[in-house]
Amino acid sequence: MAAPTIDALLTDLAEGGATGALRVGKEGTLFLDRGRVSYAECAVTPGVEDLLAASGRIAAGGIRGARQTAGPGGGGDLLVRRGVLSRGELQFCVLGATLDAAFFLLRPSSARPRFKDGEAHWLGSHWFFTVSGLFRECARRRARLERAWPSPALDALPVVPVRRPPGARVVLTSLQWELLVAADAQATPADLARRLGRPMYGVLLAVRELAAAGLLASPDEPADGESPDPPAGSAAPATPAGASGASGASETVALARRTPGATKAQRDRAGQANQADRPAGSTRQGAGPGALPSVTGDASDVELLIRLRDALEALR
Amino acid sequence: MIGIEECLSEAMSIPGAVGAVLVDHTSGMPVAAEGVPDPVRAADGLGDVFRAVLDGIALASPEQAARVEDVIVTTDAGYHLIRPVETVVDGPLLLCLRLDGDRANLALARLRLRAVPGERAAR
Repeated sequence: MAAPTIDALLTDLAEGGATGALRVGKEGTLFLDRGRVSYAECAVTPGVEDLLAASGRIAAGGIRGARQTAGPGGGGDLLVRRGVLSRGELQFCVLGATLDAAFFLLRPSSARPRFKDGEAHWLGSHWFFTVSGLFRECARRRARLERAWPSPALDALPVVPVRRPPGARVVLTSLQWELLVAADAQATPADLARRLGRPMYGVLLAVRELAAAGLLASPDEPADGESPDPPAGSAAPATPAGASGASGASETVALARRTPGATKAQRDRAGQANQADRPAGSTRQGAGPGALPSVTGDASDVELLIRLRDALEALR
Repeated sequence: MIGIEECLSEAMSIPGAVGAVLVDHTSGMPVAAEGVPDPVRAADGLGDVFRAVLDGIALASPEQAARVEDVIVTTDAGYHLIRPVETVVDGPLLLCLRLDGDRANLALARLRLRAVPGERAAR
């Protein structure tokens, strides 16, 4: 017997006016209150607790304390009474976190959903979505994401801004600015969402918009697999930024091989990006003139140059 | 900020108000609406309008980081006001208000709309 899909199960629970928690494996939980969804949490999206802690309104310890004091279902009211946030802010916070989590929970999953009757989230119910309304909103958000940039290729890869923007002026939203400032060529959109305390969907949308504007380096390189990797000994210290940059770049390269179906636009973009903008460790043209690492006065660079000189002298 | 539903009824109590919708600007979703025939498409469109205004203003101003306080659209039938309200978490919530041109006082409506979210929302 095939397991019921989460959509079908949720629709049934809504029709039955159920109250309780629907757990989807380790991925997350949807909370229902008399047949309507009152909250959702997901492993990859920040919950209300994370959003509040990141906003600086209340420390993580304060949230744990409130959770213990309030008991099940009373946490939100307690936070409002204590003046941590207002009623409207709590509602908007719950609404945002629920939509964010539902967007990633309500898609095909291998986990078998389990319903636990009567279980409530500690915050309580502060905003309600009909199940059909939630499905509709998730579909709309998906469409919006597609409109911004129709490829999921960058969704799970480290965010790597291009070194030089494609135009003389760039207009950014405040979230896009935050992302570019926080991007370290290693953090994926999910990492950045957690670090910045921003909803995952908003981060994903911003990343796709940045990609559409040509501001992100694409992992798809046109010369994929044509040139051999440089010898291990010379490749390792090749980034000015040190080991962290190198490992981030190699991760990008490794992941890029798994997504060969890139669009032409992306390949073009990748071509542009590769000329000067990739971290030095990720260029794979071996000893070609374009593959020289960018050099600063950094001690590790000086060390690298000395090693290069020694190696060249040894060749003579 | 008072409750979301209270925000809506507060906006609708402004003299001349004939329709209001609260829009989550990040996703373009209508959070609450009254007197709007198709809130889903209205929210999407109003969100796009606001985004276009932000982009246009940023490109047209010498100080690129200009903060938009509200957007006023004058039509043959009245006015539309779009006012962003910063929230704790995500991009702004947009308070969008449609006013009847014969009954509304634009200056008063702007002041009243500014006061809608209550004192905490300004953070």
